[in-house]
Order: sequence, then structure tokens, then C-alpha cells
Amino acid sequence: MNIDFKGEHLLPGHLGQFFIVLSFGSALLATISYYFATTQTNKLDLSWFRLARLSFYINTVSVVAIGCCLFYIIYNNLFEYHYAWAHSSRTLPVYYIISSYWEGQEGSFWLWTFWQAMLGNILMWKAKSWEKPVMTVVGLSQTLLASMLIGVELFGTRVGSSPFILLRDAVPGPIFSQPNYLDFIKDGNGLNPLLQNYWMVIHPPTLFLGFASMIVPFAYAVAGLWQKRYKEWINPAISYSLFAVMVLGTGIIMGSFWAYESLNFGGFWAWDPVENASLIPWLVLVAALHVLIVYKNSGHSYFTATFLTLLSFVLVLYASFLTRSGILGETSVHAFTDLGMFWHLVLDVVIFLGITIGVLVWRWKELPISRKEEETYSREFWMFVGSAFLGLSCLQLVIVTSIPVWNAMFKTHIAPPANPVSLYNVFQAGFAFIVTLFLGFTQFLKYKKTDTTRFFITTLVYLAFAALITAVIVWVSGVYKLKFVFILVMLGAVYGVMANAKILAAALKGKIKLAGSAVAHIGFSLLLIGALIAAGTSKIVSQNDKGMIEVKGFDKVADVRENIMLYKNEPVNMGNYKVTYVGDSLVAPNHYFKVLYQKLDVNGKVQEQFVLKPNSQANMKMGLVSSPDTKHYLFHDLYTHVSAAPIKEEENLTAGSTSAEHGGGDEDKNYEPPVTHEVRIGDTIRYREGYIVLRNLNKQPKIQNIPLGTNDVAIGAELEVVAHGHTYQAEPIFMIKDNNTFDFPRKVDDAGLKLRFSKVIPAENKFEITVYQQPERMKSYIVMRAIDFPYINFFWAGTIIMVIGFLMSIFRRNSELKVS
Amino acid sequence: MKKSAILGIIVIAVAIAVIISTYSNSSTYGSFKDAEQTKSELHIVGHLNKEKPLYYDATKDANYFSFYMKDNKGEECKVVFTGTKPQDFERSEQIVLTGQMQGSEFHANKILMKCPSKYTQDKVEISGAATPTKQASI
Repeated sequence: MNIDFKGEHLLPGHLGQFFIVLSFGSALLATISYYFATTQTNKLDLSWFRLARLSFYINTVSVVAIGCCLFYIIYNNLFEYHYAWAHSSRTLPVYYIISSYWEGQEGSFWLWTFWQAMLGNILMWKAKSWEKPVMTVVGLSQTLLASMLIGVELFGTRVGSSPFILLRDAVPGPIFSQPNYLDFIKDGNGLNPLLQNYWMVIHPPTLFLGFASMIVPFAYAVAGLWQKRYKEWINPAISYSLFAVMVLGTGIIMGSFWAYESLNFGGFWAWDPVENASLIPWLVLVAALHVLIVYKNSGHSYFTATFLTLLSFVLVLYASFLTRSGILGETSVHAFTDLGMFWHLVLDVVIFLGITIGVLVWRWKELPISRKEEETYSREFWMFVGSAFLGLSCLQLVIVTSIPVWNAMFKTHIAPPANPVSLYNVFQAGFAFIVTLFLGFTQFLKYKKTDTTRFFITTLVYLAFAALITAVIVWVSGVYKLKFVFILVMLGAVYGVMANAKILAAALKGKIKLAGSAVAHIGFSLLLIGALIAAGTSKIVSQNDKGMIEVKGFDKVADVRENIMLYKNEPVNMGNYKVTYVGDSLVAPNHYFKVLYQKLDVNGKVQEQFVLKPNSQANMKMGLVSSPDTKHYLFHDLYTHVSAAPIKEEENLTAGSTSAEHGGGDEDKNYEPPVTHEVRIGDTIRYREGYIVLRNLNKQPKIQNIPLGTNDVAIGAELEVVAHGHTYQAEPIFMIKDNNTFDFPRKVDDAGLKLRFSKVIPAENKFEITVYQQPERMKSYIVMRAIDFPYINFFWAGTIIMVIGFLMSIFRRNSELKVS
Repeated sequence: MKKSAILGIIVIAVAIAVIISTYSNSSTYGSFKDAEQTKSELHIVGHLNKEKPLYYDATKDANYFSFYMKDNKGEECKVVFTGTKPQDFERSEQIVLTGQMQGSEFHANKILMKCPSKYTQDKVEISGAATPTKQASI
């Protein structure tokens, strides 16, 4: 059955698909040509080499073209394409169109292949004699990535997943039997509200640049073994490893910043499998980098350096398998789902693992492995031990995160640890203590041989000072209440800062080029200090002891009750603050809740006040999603997030104003039974939450659309409502028209009131005012949670300092490359 | 003994310790029946019984949420969670609870829910689809 569909734009999709096939073909051709260019013996024959370069250029162009086609489709809301329909919508602003671009797996694979193409071009420009073998490996990786996007049927199974698949091909539905089905698809699904955050515009590209750049040290290692240039590959690999470690590290922390700003789990790191998956290769590459430096300086640990470098890239692919194959389904909320690429991803890991094992076994006998013992008092020995511990910390992450993989492999049913966060925290803290201790005292050691007496004196003096400072920090910040191992981490991190500060001070005097590692180490240690205090001593400010239902033994399981309830305009004391939910506003699609924080001094005078606006998004497709708002101080952050609010009711959207109302009697069920009051001008009516004063009468009130005849009368009662320190005006109207009496009530939503001017009693000069009061549960409220994160700025500052350190190291290593 | 050998032994020892501790810390998947028989924490996989009421009234207690869940063996149990109702709970297709039995109620301290529709919308939810005369306005 061929239907002539109307309104479809098939050209960009066909073009895009063409470029995907072209990128796959050209990458494959580049790989093969680079392989033969490397292996051929006739050095004057440049035909393979030229062909290889040409195909890689074609690959780069086609990868960019794929991106352009996809962007065109998303930007123009061509919802006949599944990708645009699933990830974008018409209301999305342009900068979020960019993030919707990589919300799907196909988009993130594209990002990866794009960065890899860019890196390939840099290598073709810079790698010189290394180009042929290194680019063979990069080409292979590029080929495999392109195959993930290709989305063609091969022997009855679909290989890869193309972003250019049409909606009618991707999703079954009776609607697609109509030629004009596009008329009914008004909008796409839109972007998950949690991803509508500026960090999501830059976090994925940074992360994927980090992942992509890890191919380069791998490729150099393979090339080095393949070409028997066993020692030469180390130097360029160090530079590229530094770059990869820097970029991936930045990407990971950006992700944690996004989590902190946009997710509501209340923190910046949760040991979620997806987070772990990005951390695992990073830790291994950091270890590899240190052992590479060890080898460069001492000639020891060649095998470990090579092995870790190779392994780090295999772990990138393994991480990709974990997050994309759907295997983590039951353990992670945000693991991507299976796109039917399980075995494709497994194959990817197996190929590169095979290469790793293959080259090592192939060249095993020739590897320049030093048979000499390392000196105990040498820097290289302890750097090596430290790297081994980094590797072990990674091993723990891999083993625990991979529980679903073990289950799949061995047909077991092990559930992940019931409390993974504390398990990871304790273990990783143990490793962090050892690693920071090492990154401290190795600074006092020299390569090859150190004078032991001097070393012990400096080390111990610094350790004693560090212990002293740690004691102060631990006492002031309250870290002493935590498990002992966290105090050890603090000691290690403080020691790391101090020891490296000494090196930095020395470097500033003369050998400035050596400062990079010291700065990076200081940054890393500060990051640990910040993370430890912020996560370890964060306090739930919004503790709630009201309305507790005591269940025996239950308190042991549950945390403190973390949510408090705020009725509109009713201040509640919360910690040091008086908080009031003062109103809400709707900036579609976000619903902002204004929470006023006031800090009072002893005399009740306001010392400090500010408004936080946590929001919830009432998203048609994805339901309610909340994002926190945070008040940043220099030494702590106050994080506030709305965990529940009655925002689904339409009428609440207009709350916040005093609205007029005509008729609508059954609406009264929203109120408690009315109470009538007979008052004179100037009298006060008391009600549960405040009082109402009849200020005056208005003889000529405005009534819309009702012309008054000569015998008709209308009077407005000018009422002043005072509730919870706020004053509102309301003017209900009483009217006699054609000898019938009417009245027009007025609502004061903020005070939960409806007021009627129900009768005039001329004999007594009195007026009857009927007060309808909303019961508690009908009033506007929010349930919110507030957390105080002390010293979290150390965490962010540490990150920035670490990145600066990496940059300095890259410059240093690059200048060394030029000299040698 | 060579230093590298000593280091190797330490590394292997730590690795074994990691594996053992992982195994001993990992809990087990179970059913509500298993939960009645043990005092330790369990993971229970199941789905929400959408016919029975969810109870969450922030005006009474902002930190109390209860619902009924059927585990994978079909057994139903009341579940109590101290906290607010997770957003979109009604839409969940699968729930993983961590917690333990308290009397006849299961007290969860962690709820992990899966709403696959959040990530793969493989249903065309177009109001125009069923009744083409009505214009979709989403």
C-alpha cells in the first residue's frame, strides 16, 4: 500500500541518511587506507596515504552535514521525523533546541563522532610521523561510531539507530493511514523539563569531547606497540591524556552542577550508575597519566602505563554500553533505554578489548619492562602505588555498578546494595584518603633517589601541621560527627593542599613550569574538602516535627521528616529564618513559587530578606517536574525546592489577585459555612485569621455591563481585610434593580475569603456582611524542602583550580615536546 | 620479597575485600511474602495498583504518602513512604521499593519508579488520532 503523504519534507532526511552512509563508508575507507599506508614497505608510494586523508576529510564533511540536516529538522519543527517529534516542540527556545539535539542517543552518538572527527583533523595536522598508525585506530573508532547511527536492516536485524527515521516508520498508529496525518501532529513531545537548564546546553558537549579525546592516548599506545616505537609514544600521549582528563573532569563536574541546580534529589552527586559510568574511565585515565609520567621520568612501570592507557578507552566504551544498552534498567532512573543495540555495543567493547589484549600479547617479549627494583624512597614508586589505589577505587565502582551485568552474565538475582550511597561513600573515602596522602608526600620525594632523613622530617612536620588544621576544620564544620574515615579524608586533603602549596611556592620562585601538577593537586584536594563538608554536613533546614505519625522502630529507617507545609501568607519559622509563601506566578511552562525568607534579630527586626523562586513545570506530557532555587552565600548555600503543590487545578493559576466573580453558587462548597455579621461603618469583623473593617460605603460602585435605571440603587462596601500582616481591599456590591435585590461578592484569594454585601438594614443604619472562609485544605499551599550546603564553594573552586592546573601542565608538556 | 610482589598482594587483598563487601552489602530482590519473613531491607519490584487509592494529603501531613502495590508474584500490600508523593507517580509502569515490613504495611525508604514514557514516547498521543474531526491543540 503506497500512500501519497502530504506535507512531508523528505529531502533533509534523505540527505541526512545519505551523509550517514557516506560517513560510515568514508570512515571505513580511511581506516583501511591508513592501515595499508602504515604497513606498506615502499615509503615513496603515497597513494594509500592520500586516499586515507581524503576519506577522512570526506568523513568530517559528512559528519558536519549530518549535524546540519538534523539541526534543520529540529529547528523547523519537522515532526514527520521521529527524532524531532520525540525530543523537541514548538515552544522550545532556540538554546534548548540545542540541548534537545543531544537528548536522544542518536544525537549524543553524533556529538561523539563529531568531536572524534575534529580530533582526527588535529592529529592529521599535528601528529607527523605518528599520523598513519594513530589514525588507523581513530578511523576504526570512527567507523564503529558511524555504524551506531546507520540504522539499516542487515540480515533481518536493524543495525544502529538513525536520527532520520520518519515518525510513521518508527511508531505504529492508525493515524498514519491518512495521507494528511501531519495535520494532526501539532507539536512534538518536547524536551524533558529537567533538561531545560543551561548546563544541559554545555554539559553534554564537554562530556563527549572528553570521551572522544580518550581515543587519542589509546591510539598512540596501540601505534607505539604496533610500530615498535615503544618509548616514543609516551610523550604525545601524556599531553593528550592531560587534555582528556581535564575536559572529561570538567564535563563530569558540570553534570553535578546541573544536578545541583536542576534536579531535586538535593545534592550534587548521588553515585548513580550514569554518574559512575562517566567517573570510571576518568579515574583510570588519571591513574594512567601518573604512571606514564613515572615511566617517562624513571623508566619503570612500562607495562602498567601502557595497560592503563589502553584500558581507559575500553572503559569509555564499557560505560557507553552500561548507559545505552538498557541493562541498568532497574537500578537507575535516568539510564537510557535500549534501542535494540545491546549486542552492537557489546561488539564495540569486545573489539577494542581484543585490540588491547592483542597488542600486549603480540609485543609482550619486546616490551621495555625494567627488571630493576624501584627505590623505596623514590617518587616513581609511590606515584605508582598511588595509581594502583586509584585503579582499585575504580574497580570498586565497576564491580558495584555492574551488578546488573553480573546478573545477566551469571543468571543471578543480586539486588544492588540497599544503601549504595553510604557504601560508595565509605569505600571511595578510604581510597581518597590514601590517594590524597600520596599526592601530598610524593611531592617531597625525588625521582630515582631521595635523601631519607630530610624526607621524613619534612613529611612529618607537614603531616603534623595538617593534622592540626584538620582538627580545627573538622571541629568548626561538624565533620567530626561523621564516620572516622571521612575525617581521614579531610586530613589527607588538607595535607595534599599544604604539601602542594609548598611546591607551588617554590615553583613560583623559579621553576614555574613545574607548577601545573601542584595547582591541579591543590584543586583536587580542595574539591574533596568542599564535597566532604557540603555533602557530609548538609542540614535539612525544613525539619518538620508536626503531624508525625509515630510508628515504633520506624525512625531508624526513615530520615528526619524533610518537608514542611506553607500556607500562602502564613509565616512559618524554619531554622534561623521566617519563611512565607507569598505568591506564585506563571511563566509558561514554569510555575514559580515565591518564598520570602526573613532573618530576624533578637528584637524582631528584619536583618536580611530575600525571595527564592523554586519552580515546577506543569508539563502536559511529562507531568510535574520541580526545580530548586538556591541562595548562594560565600560560605554556604541555601537550597529550596518545592516537593508538592496543588498546581494541577486551573483556578490556582490565577491566584494572587483579588478577582471579581459573578454568580456561580455551587462554588460555595469550596468554603466553610458562611457567617453573617451586622456592622456599622467603622466596625470590625473578626475571623479566624485576621479581621475585616468596614471603612466606608461607595455610592457609585462600578458594575460591568449592568446599566442602572432611575429607581435602581447600587452600594459598594469598602472593606479592608487584614490577614497575617497583609492588608487587602475588597468591595462587594449590593444592588436593588427593578425591585429585586442582588449582590456581587468579591474574593480575596490570598486571604482565602469570599465577602458578600448581603443586606442593608436602614432602620439601624447597619449593613450585613457575609464572610465565607476557605477551610485550611482549600487554601493555596506549597510543600517545600530546604537544605543548607555549607562550604560548597570549595567544591566549585577546587574544580576550577584543578582545570587551571591541567592547562598549565598541558602547556608544559607541549613545550617539552617541541624541545625533544 | 620484592616490593612489587608486596604491592601486588596488597592490591589483590583490597580487590578481594571489595568483592566480598559488595556481595555482603548487596541486598536481595524479594516479594512481600519474603519481606514478612525477614527483618533486613529488601528490594521489591512491582507495579502500582491503580484501582486502590493513593493517599497523600499535604494539609494533614506533608511527609506521609501511602499506596498499594502488587509485587511481581501478584501479592498486594499497602506501602507507606515518609515523604512527599513522587511526581507523576500515577503514571509509573514499574516501581522498585527499598524498605522493610512493619506489621502489615511495607515501609519504603526509597522509591524508584520507571515511567518509560518519559524517555521513549512510543505512543502517538494525539487527540486528533482517534477522532480526526477534533483538532489537536497540544
